Amino acid sequence: MFYVPKNAIYKRIPRRKFLELGGGVATALGAGSIAVGLSSVVTRNPVQAASSDDAKWKQYSGTKLVFMSENTPPSFAIRENLKPFYDLTGIEVEILTDDLPVVQQKVGIDLRSGKADFHLNYVQDKPIGAPFADYFANLNDFINDDTLPQDPDGMGADAWFENFLDACGTMYTRDRLIAFPYDSAVACTFYRQDLFEQHSPDFEKEYGYRMEFTNDTTWKNVYEFAEFFKKLRAAGQDVPYGYAQHQGSFAWTAQLDIQRLMFAHGQWTEFDVDDKLGSKEPGPTRWGDEASVFLMEKWKELADVAHPDNLANDTLQLNTVYQAGQIAMQVQYHEFAASIEDEKTSRAAGGKTAYAACPKGEASWIKNGGQAVNGTNCGIGGIGINNNASDDLKRAAYLFSVWSTSKDTQYNVLKGVGGTPTRKAVMDMPGVKEARQRPTDMPNALTFDAVYDYGIKDPHFVLGPKIPEANEYYQIILTEVQKCLSGQQDPAATCESIRDQVDDLNDI
Amino acid sequence: MATQVLSGGALRGDAPGGINPVGIMPGFVTRDGVTVLEREPAVRNPEPSRRYYFYMMAPAIITLAAISLYPFFWLIWMSLHDVDVMAGDKWIGLKNFERLFTRDTKFSNGWLLLIQYSALCLFFEVVLGVLIAVLLNRSRWEKVLVTVFLMPMMMAPAIAGLVWYYLYNGTFGWYHWFMQSVGLLGETSILGSPSTAMIGLVLVDIWQWTPLIVLITLAGLKRVPRDQLEANMVDGAGEIRNFFQVVLPNLYPFLLIGILLRFMDNFRFIDSVLILTGGGPADATNILPVYLFDVSFQYFKLGRGAAIALTLLVVTIILGMFLVKIFDSPAARNVGRTEG
Amino acid sequence: MASKDVVEYASPARRIANVAVVIFLAVYLLWTVLPIFVMFVSSLKDLLEAFRIPAVGDWSGIALFFDFQPTFKHYANLFVNLNFGVYFFNSVAAALGSAVVSVTLGATCAYALSRTEFRGKKDLFFWIISTRMAPVVAVMVPLYAIFRSLELVGSLWGLILAYTTFNLPFAIWILKGFFDNVPYAIEEAQMVDGATRLQAFRSILPLVAPGIGAFLVLCVLFAWNDFLFASIIGSGGAKTLPVATKELVQPQNIQWGSIMAAGVVTTLPMMFLGLLIRRYLVTGLTMGAVRE
Repeated sequence: MFYVPKNAIYKRIPRRKFLELGGGVATALGAGSIAVGLSSVVTRNPVQAASSDDAKWKQYSGTKLVFMSENTPPSFAIRENLKPFYDLTGIEVEILTDDLPVVQQKVGIDLRSGKADFHLNYVQDKPIGAPFADYFANLNDFINDDTLPQDPDGMGADAWFENFLDACGTMYTRDRLIAFPYDSAVACTFYRQDLFEQHSPDFEKEYGYRMEFTNDTTWKNVYEFAEFFKKLRAAGQDVPYGYAQHQGSFAWTAQLDIQRLMFAHGQWTEFDVDDKLGSKEPGPTRWGDEASVFLMEKWKELADVAHPDNLANDTLQLNTVYQAGQIAMQVQYHEFAASIEDEKTSRAAGGKTAYAACPKGEASWIKNGGQAVNGTNCGIGGIGINNNASDDLKRAAYLFSVWSTSKDTQYNVLKGVGGTPTRKAVMDMPGVKEARQRPTDMPNALTFDAVYDYGIKDPHFVLGPKIPEANEYYQIILTEVQKCLSGQQDPAATCESIRDQVDDLNDI
Repeated sequence: MATQVLSGGALRGDAPGGINPVGIMPGFVTRDGVTVLEREPAVRNPEPSRRYYFYMMAPAIITLAAISLYPFFWLIWMSLHDVDVMAGDKWIGLKNFERLFTRDTKFSNGWLLLIQYSALCLFFEVVLGVLIAVLLNRSRWEKVLVTVFLMPMMMAPAIAGLVWYYLYNGTFGWYHWFMQSVGLLGETSILGSPSTAMIGLVLVDIWQWTPLIVLITLAGLKRVPRDQLEANMVDGAGEIRNFFQVVLPNLYPFLLIGILLRFMDNFRFIDSVLILTGGGPADATNILPVYLFDVSFQYFKLGRGAAIALTLLVVTIILGMFLVKIFDSPAARNVGRTEG
Repeated sequence: MASKDVVEYASPARRIANVAVVIFLAVYLLWTVLPIFVMFVSSLKDLLEAFRIPAVGDWSGIALFFDFQPTFKHYANLFVNLNFGVYFFNSVAAALGSAVVSVTLGATCAYALSRTEFRGKKDLFFWIISTRMAPVVAVMVPLYAIFRSLELVGSLWGLILAYTTFNLPFAIWILKGFFDNVPYAIEEAQMVDGATRLQAFRSILPLVAPGIGAFLVLCVLFAWNDFLFASIIGSGGAKTLPVATKELVQPQNIQWGSIMAAGVVTTLPMMFLGLLIRRYLVTGLTMGAVRE
């Protein structure tokens, strides 16, 4: 989702694709506009429920589709290697990739204007799925359609990792399924176990427990680790900072960052709605209550012992800071493991980094009577179908959605450019189990214990807030939290300001 | 044999900037310092009809109208509706505007910041630009230096944003290292703190566009009429007085163009702001066009966005009109003319 | 400026002032050139080397900046793997196309405006200038809608048309000034000698040619450097260099080498152009606007 692996960019684009991708000099010199993908072609051969699988796959042979995706590993990998899909179905797919904000804009305009330039869309769970849920086709129609092939591992919720289907596919109602999970980015903790081991004796002397990271490590421990490192630095030692936050300009990840802290303590959520479904009218927000004010104070205290440049570092820059060895811990998305383990660019590679679940809530910090959990959140990107397209195009698009999320495709992506699978079946494929320990040829697999076996399961996982005004919500959170962290506003006032703006946003 | 002074006005023999037809085109001659046609036209061509000129203007005007009027009316329409992504458009009259002017703090903040940003940039660019132009004018390396100073202007603002982002970065930026080493900054990068982020942006703008003011001013300096200067010096004025009394007034039209250009561009170009800070941190650099971008393209609140866009357009045009009137005024136009 | 006949004896104050001037100009020169220099040098650095900076306050560490193995692999990567040849072509085509269209349409319109009088001419002229003042971000959404319905999104022609929105009014504005400075008397003389209006018009073109040429280059410059239009309207099939460069800012091992190389590729042609028309740049910008 956020992560683009190094080798994806270095791969050659085959000449045919080069011309096809609309950049062709030939077309430019030729007639007028090279409107890419704006003309769609669909040809259909009718099949019945009893037809062979092969016939079902090939029923739209000759069709041309356009997939508007984010810069995510599966899209790169698939674009490099579309031949299998073409051989299977005879359908040409044009894959466009762009930054998330750009994808949001283009998809938004496309969907809203009733057009279908992009038949297939990358449905990033909250930034794109929540605002535009009604514009995507209901995949249940196709799942239950006997004339369309389905994935042998199934398309139901248990074929995918826990909560993944809900994350990106279910918005506001269980009646409509809007996307299949295509890629994932789940939060976990990356920490420098070499540094932890090195300083553990000193730490234990001062704080009374061992410096290590387990599933029970709480946010208070994180605070103490960071404080410890900061003290060492102040004493002149050459150690990195303990911790840093994603509070730079990327609003969504900044909101996710603080949400982990909030949810860990009593499963506090921003709105009183079903977290997995969300709501178009979420009602008044919980921001401003005792729990939120208390936790905001804690967040500020954490920031004060963290790397001083929090406000300039969003998720991506933070990763660079960790790679440069300037912080000892980061709560980061698991797809970044590949970049951390790359010896050529990362000072934290080669066994220095270990992966653990997100920190747990600290019992004494819980104000709402809930339980302490390892608050974990995510960005699950789904693949959805533009409902404005014609029925035939939608069905043809469905073929691609099924194929691109199959276990074979995901396995190839994992092995190749380093993706993050969404199907459980991938875990059983050859080499994956072994790759979860060092030494490994699939660095992302090192995080699977923390993520797939723990973090995404209830009660730790938080999927929301799924509201139509998601993007503006993130910006409100970002701006107010930044004001608080930079000392312009105290935590109580911050929470109140958030409450006022969010309620205004939702027309309370 | 009367010589006719035809339409187009009498020309002074060597008016700088004007074209002296003597020597270029046949039929002209200079008498008593005035250049006129030598003989009367035997046949006078009928004055080209106005319609002819209108036809010449038509393609351009029509193109412009199509591209600018349609969006303008569309904006007006949109601003009066609640354009909802899911539920369709709803007429709400002036509610968008009411919200903007009463409750929207980012809107008012955006204006304040925009004014602050433009004013800071303009002020430093003009002062620095004029200063450097004056210094260069007397230096023998003028030509070489001007060529070098051109370079930042040629860069795309987006690219400039990327390069400066690289330089400002707290982890590997050389500028950051420099500023830390001289003690100007702590470990927080310049873009990472609300109090310094705006300065960071202004610096980039100054870096890129001061050369424009330098160039324009240099051109103006070369056109300062010698006789005015010498007359003043004969009166015993020192260099500095000379500058303020003679040179500066002559520079006004040039400076005004520069200011007009830069001012408009500060409102229009958000490429580097988007790349460097995206409006943050804590809204410290959330100038109005950036806020507009967020509202229109991130939250898809097209109705609200249209309302903001309209206010921006109106203010820009009014201010532009104001500036153009100044530079078009008789006072400005008379600059550079000597008596007699 | 001052007549060179006046002899000045340098007083101590004057000498200090001179030194101060030199230092000031030198510092400004350094500050101006440094980012560009860094861009060039970084584009030749391999990935990890680009991140090395010395400890704070360690001034001798500046040498670290120059301590690297130059490599052209980023440039190779751009053109071989990343399609930059296409983007380069798109930039050239869109910029040139828009410049030519704007200057052609603009010159005829400017000429007509210069030679004619009618009520409301000032207002028309002001309206023309005001279209250039409009912040792009404000009109982006409706423009996108128009272009969409004309099927121009993602096409070079769409981009050319988009760039014309700001180049055309600018052309009319500046070129009108040029034509104002050419006295009508010249054309009348031509017509006296039997030329048609069109021929008379063409005969004065050589007089404004340098200015028009300079202005053409300015149009190319503005179109080439544009980012917003290109990213929204040119997306997909008509991606230009600035947009492609920004897209290289991807999370993973932020490819600073490639980004700097892309920056160089985007900036170098414009620098050459700037050098070419250096003498006419200011004329191009101001001649039209300042009347004598």
